[in-house]
Amino acid sequence: MTGPMDGAPDHKAGKGKDRPQGWLRFLKSMQFSFVLLFIIAAACVAGSVIPQGSSEAAYRQLYGDTGAKIITELNLDHVFTCWWFVLLTALLCVNLILCSVSRFPAVLKAWKASGRKSVGMWGSWITHLGMLLLIISFAAGQYTSREETVYGIAGSTQPLGGTGLSITIDSFDVSLREDNTVEQYTAGLTVSDASGNSKSGTASVNHPFDAFGYSFYQDSMGWAVYVDIYKSGGQVKTDLICAGEYTFPNELPSLVLMFNKFYPDLARNEDGSYYSRTPLPDNPHALYSVYYDGSVLGMGLAAPGTSIDCNEYSFVMRDPCEYTLIVAKHDPLSWLVGVSAFVLLAGLFISFYVRPWEKKRIQNAE
Amino acid sequence: MQNNTLGNIESIGFMALLILYFAGSIFYFIYAGAKKEKAARAGYILVLVGFAVHTLCIIARGVNAGRLPLTNQFEFASAFAWGIAICFLVFVKKFGFDALGMVVAPLVFLVAGYAFMQNREINSLMPALQSGWLGFHVCTAIIAYGGFGVAFGVALFFLLKGKLKGSLAERVPDEKTLDNIIYRAVSLGFLFLTLCMITGAIWAKRAWGSYWNWDPKETWSLITWIIYAIFLHLRLRGAVSGRKAAVLAVVGFVCVIFTYVGVNLLLPGLHSYA
Ligand code: HEM
Repeated sequence: MTGPMDGAPDHKAGKGKDRPQGWLRFLKSMQFSFVLLFIIAAACVAGSVIPQGSSEAAYRQLYGDTGAKIITELNLDHVFTCWWFVLLTALLCVNLILCSVSRFPAVLKAWKASGRKSVGMWGSWITHLGMLLLIISFAAGQYTSREETVYGIAGSTQPLGGTGLSITIDSFDVSLREDNTVEQYTAGLTVSDASGNSKSGTASVNHPFDAFGYSFYQDSMGWAVYVDIYKSGGQVKTDLICAGEYTFPNELPSLVLMFNKFYPDLARNEDGSYYSRTPLPDNPHALYSVYYDGSVLGMGLAAPGTSIDCNEYSFVMRDPCEYTLIVAKHDPLSWLVGVSAFVLLAGLFISFYVRPWEKKRIQNAE
Repeated sequence: MQNNTLGNIESIGFMALLILYFAGSIFYFIYAGAKKEKAARAGYILVLVGFAVHTLCIIARGVNAGRLPLTNQFEFASAFAWGIAICFLVFVKKFGFDALGMVVAPLVFLVAGYAFMQNREINSLMPALQSGWLGFHVCTAIIAYGGFGVAFGVALFFLLKGKLKGSLAERVPDEKTLDNIIYRAVSLGFLFLTLCMITGAIWAKRAWGSYWNWDPKETWSLITWIIYAIFLHLRLRGAVSGRKAAVLAVVGFVCVIFTYVGVNLLLPGLHSYA
């Protein structure tokens, strides 16, 4: 049962009849598969070792001028989406299709010769079909899927990109264990369409919420604060901003308050650096910086309610609360990916376990 | 949340299994070096007992943690050693190739030893890791790696067979048999690696909304998968390719190790918590 090729209908089937042209022979040959698979594997190595999607400046710093030039010229900064990687994958599909089509008659004949009983004959053929379907459905999924991201605090409603749907974050809850590690993030959501139909449910990590053809994922969370802006003691604006965002008085946009980072339970390390002791807002402080015309006026840590003054203006951050980031995905072809994966697995199982077992039975019968 | 008695059972058990795997390796060396048939039997029994203790340790930890003990570097390294051990025990029994213990028993010991050097504290799981799919994902990885580990050991014998002398040379089966064992082990590994990647993709879809993100761990498992796919095809092409195929079975296992250790240390990504 070990002999290479023993009795196997091979990829050279069809030889002798209408012998295909040289290049067609190459395109369907196993040599060509080896070349393609080898280059794809090498590209994967490059794509995992070289950070993907960084700026040219970052590559120059890491690999020097020549290195950076090579990386950007060869698209090694986005290996998995660049034209030549897509081309290689497409060629692998062509290779698989040609080889499967040309082997089909021989496999069929062998199967008929077995009295239509030997499923094992189909193992590798089904494997290749599964692989082909998997690549195609995955690629098609890249073009047919849609993704939208929204973030907000409990109580906020907003449109879901250009989908015509709107989403309300009814609640957002972070459940903690006794040791203050996070057990689960749960967002209560209501999704409505233009004609007023709506559906409510919860999205937590590993348990997306499905509505109107979209799946809603609880992706991540962070802290937001309200900022009141005063001018000469009179309030001119209130804004809600998340960590990493900024705000400014409308009549003086060059004066900017940036909310850099939030420490729910501020504490100090021995080396003087700050950290948060727990995720609970027991000693809340916001790290902020103030800019005027692009240059830093000052930065510091402020507890909620502290006034940050710049001449006649002052900023007061208050009422820190957690916001949630929800990712909505529409992926109409995911079932096809599932079917392909199943076909691939079935093919592998038949190749490795049904076929040798059938061969043994035939040998014993002889 | 930790129970001291169970914690102690696990610690003592782990020490014991290291000793058992080590002693098993020594007996296999004795078997290969001198003409002592009984040494192979002793080696097998020691690894078998080590494996039983190992299983108890994993169960004790699972009960103690209240979850599948398959989530951090220690737990996975330990399970990895366990996977190679079970595949080894089954393959040696099935094919009667005792000298394999000389390579694979030390491999089990080394991987278990690597586990022993990791932080063994029981930590609580971040939400993304609380998924039934994670269990399937890691269990299939363990079987896959076990199969590849055995294939690696046999492939070394295949490649070095010409250089072996004396009693050891007599104890190694012919190339055709070796080739068959490598094939059986790789096909087991390949089927389960495919399952591992698919269950991982399903989990990623549930947790993050996309099957595949090209993070380094995923990418390296694909590289490993491609290498074994090339192996499967090279084998179909006759004797010269049989040697090349054996080289690939070795290279493939180096990739397995890199996917597991190298990626964690050198290439950060989504999986870096594991
Ligand atoms: C990534 C893509 C591929 C995968 C995962 C794959 C997988 C497999 C597997 C698992 C087997 C069964 C091996 C065995 O039973 O030992 C097989 C056999 C085979 N493959 Fe592929 N293959 C791929 C691409 C190709 C391509 C492109 C060709 C075309 C040249 C090809 C030609 C063959 C042939 C001729 C056989 C032997 C058939 C037999 O013995 O029944 N494969 N392949």
